[in-house]
Amino acid sequence: MRLILSDRPLPLPELSSDTTFVDLSGLKIANCVGCFGCWTKTPGRCVIRDDAVKIYPLIAASDRVLYVSRIRYGGYDEPMKTMLERAIPVQQAFIRLVNGETHHLQRRVVPKQAVVMGYGEEISSAEEAVFRRLVARNALNMNFSEFRVEVMPEAAVEDAVRREAAAWLG
Amino acid sequence: MAGIMILNGSPRAPRSNSKKYAALFAQACPAETVYREITRGNHGTLCREIEGFSDLLLVFPLYADGIPVTLLRFLKALEAAPPSPRLTVSMMVNCGFLEPGQNDTVVEMIRLFCEKSGCRFGSVLEIGSGEAILETPFAGMVRRKIGKLADSIARGTRRSWKVTMPLPKRWFIRASTAYWESYGKRNGVTKEQMATMEIEK
Repeated sequence: MRLILSDRPLPLPELSSDTTFVDLSGLKIANCVGCFGCWTKTPGRCVIRDDAVKIYPLIAASDRVLYVSRIRYGGYDEPMKTMLERAIPVQQAFIRLVNGETHHLQRRVVPKQAVVMGYGEEISSAEEAVFRRLVARNALNMNFSEFRVEVMPEAAVEDAVRREAAAWLG
Repeated sequence: MAGIMILNGSPRAPRSNSKKYAALFAQACPAETVYREITRGNHGTLCREIEGFSDLLLVFPLYADGIPVTLLRFLKALEAAPPSPRLTVSMMVNCGFLEPGQNDTVVEMIRLFCEKSGCRFGSVLEIGSGEAILETPFAGMVRRKIGKLADSIARGTRRSWKVTMPLPKRWFIRASTAYWESYGKRNGVTKEQMATMEIEK
């Protein structure tokens, strides 16, 4: 299963039947309230029953993901960050060691090849470096077996996503 | 312009660990402090109020390796305001992992916010094992570091510290497992239920 998760609408060519495209800008997703309910009350299920509960099972089940997000202060801007925060039901409260560091145990999360495209105007080299470090950190917490980061101006996003989607078909 | 605004950026601010850390900072600080929490509706009020302060201390948890959305939204509003170039922004961030260095990336994010908004980047305290450390015999270690942070901000110096439980990782994992097991038990949920591999089932 494959997932394209974007913070903006994207005119995409026809995708393979096992690829889902999600435009976060069209969904109703509240921010995580840090209640730990998905760990300690209803394990694996968020207590906020909005559109996020349809997305994090897709994230967990996908072996290939493409995330598209505007960059803000070297991180994801609101729509993507909101969704990624709401995806913590895919993890357990319990801690394990990953590469000698403490991280949460995953539930049934398929190891994934991830491509993360960050976009924006006037992204400095320092901001790009922070974004790349962030995705490397995400890889440990989100079960990325491999990942690639691309940073680009907004005008280049559609072509870059089309190229990546075409490569998935190939 | 004087004094320190302590701003809690946790999404569960009224019952957060960040609130406890903020209270310890206020107790330790030789300068005047004011404590505020971010809500969806108070961005404008906070941006105006910050104008009256020389220092802003952001206190927040690490969320998905970055700035919690609650705080991110506010920072965007503050950048648009924009803050006085004389404002110095310091931070105290906590993560539930043992390694306080897991906060390093978010420190760089706040530094980037300062660059973009034109204010000064100040002092930093990174806390590891931040979910539980205040309930352990190691709480004094955090208090001492918070005291140093408070002195640093009050004196206008820029320093950075890290603090965590001085435990071997295996011991920390055992202790955190017991902590979360007890958390679930209070909700009538067993360790086995908490460890389910199912998602949305």
